[in-house]
Amino acid sequence: MIEVKDVTKKFGRKTVLNGVNFTAEKGKITCLIGINGVGKTTIMKAIMALTPIDGGQILIDGEKIHKGSYEKITFIPDTITMLPQMKVHEAFMFMADFYDSWNQKRAEELLEFFRLKETDRISDLSKGNTAKVNLILGLALDVDYVLMDEPFSGIDIFSREQIADVFTSHLIEDRGVIITTHEINDIEHLIDKVVLLDNGVVLREFDTEEVRENEGKSVIDVMREVYRA
Amino acid sequence: MNRFLKLVNFEFSRFFKLYLVLVGITVLCQMVGVIFEARRYVGRANKAIYEDLLSKSDFISQYGTMSFFRFSETLWFLGPIMLAGVTLLIYVFFIWYRDWFGKNTFSYRLLVLPTARLNIYLAKATTVLLFVLGLIALQLLLVPAEMQIIKWLVPDELRTDFSIATISNHYYLGVLFPMTIADFILIYGVGIVAVCVVFTGILFERSYRLKGIFLGILYAAVSILVFFAPILVNELILRNYFYANELFYMELGTCLLTLAGAIWIGNYLMNKKIRV
Repeated sequence: MIEVKDVTKKFGRKTVLNGVNFTAEKGKITCLIGINGVGKTTIMKAIMALTPIDGGQILIDGEKIHKGSYEKITFIPDTITMLPQMKVHEAFMFMADFYDSWNQKRAEELLEFFRLKETDRISDLSKGNTAKVNLILGLALDVDYVLMDEPFSGIDIFSREQIADVFTSHLIEDRGVIITTHEINDIEHLIDKVVLLDNGVVLREFDTEEVRENEGKSVIDVMREVYRA
Repeated sequence: MNRFLKLVNFEFSRFFKLYLVLVGITVLCQMVGVIFEARRYVGRANKAIYEDLLSKSDFISQYGTMSFFRFSETLWFLGPIMLAGVTLLIYVFFIWYRDWFGKNTFSYRLLVLPTARLNIYLAKATTVLLFVLGLIALQLLLVPAEMQIIKWLVPDELRTDFSIATISNHYYLGVLFPMTIADFILIYGVGIVAVCVVFTGILFERSYRLKGIFLGILYAAVSILVFFAPILVNELILRNYFYANELFYMELGTCLLTLAGAIWIGNYLMNKKIRV
């Protein structure tokens, strides 16, 4: 389980996170929702120790992040995390070199699924295909937790469908996923848990299934309720 | 292969093509230069002796003999060395900033590798050191070759030959080829410390951005002060109280202290403060 406890973060004098609390469990897809600048990406980066926090604590399976944690948690930001001049197979080789959890077979499977070629140079790929390569680099790691930052932003409808398909496949099953997105429509039916953020705090954290069953509301209904209140 | 060595190998390969270009320019420039300068000297001697009817000894007293020193003061020799020096100086900054700036967000990947972040720092420092030592080694091969070319092209009586040891006593060539272990430690120790201090300064900037520039400069200034403390105290306060070897060991101590400080602070910043 990923536990975000009372996390605070300031950029200069601006408080971006003001005591954020939520958890993300293994086997569930947790979606962080909020308008731009609300601190969704900052939370992701803070979980990965890619930005320092000013207060609070973040635990992954009960421990603070350390070098070994990167074999069980991965981050897929909205930009490619490999050198643009690399070919896809070189990027795979780099990952295999550094990560024990790299699963080459799965990477090749995903490459085929996305209809990409190993010989493609990353800098030559379209935005959608670059996002797919980025996704492969994260998903081909046999890790327990995957953090995805805006995986659908600026991507065409067909690529979005392909990426959304990944969420229902065995590639995601049993893993804990935290995702941020504006395009809630694409994945509303897939997410298990929602964390609504605004003004640096969590406005509401809820289980989508529970709300659907008990209150008869969709995620968008709850969002309207919370944000328009 | 452990991850540190893999990182060194990775960093090395990223700059290798440009490095080969530098090596190529150095070899080409110095080889063409030594031939050109030797032939120019001989040409001038021929003209003076056969056309202006100057005796050999008059020519030598007027123009001096041809020697490696003479060549080493030309742009042919110094140009590529300065070019390599400036390139490596820029590279000390570039090796970090290229992972953060532009479309490249490779810093995300580097910082989430399942290895101590200090390894990234040390791998980058090792890569810079390897490049520097590589160029020095190249120069060590080129100098005897250039001396040989001068021997082939310039007649004995118009030439002065020097040994490598004599060359090492020459002021700037001595920096390239230190003759004693103490000189080697001092010269390359200063180099390594300087690279690490700059690296840590860069990490201050990458951690605190604008505020980090001031912190980085302040940190570098304090490091320089600590590094030169024995010399400054000896010269300014104690008026040359220490023997040279005492000063050497004290300098070695402050050198290690500055290096340890740079690496320790660098490690702290990479683990606790760095931002992507």
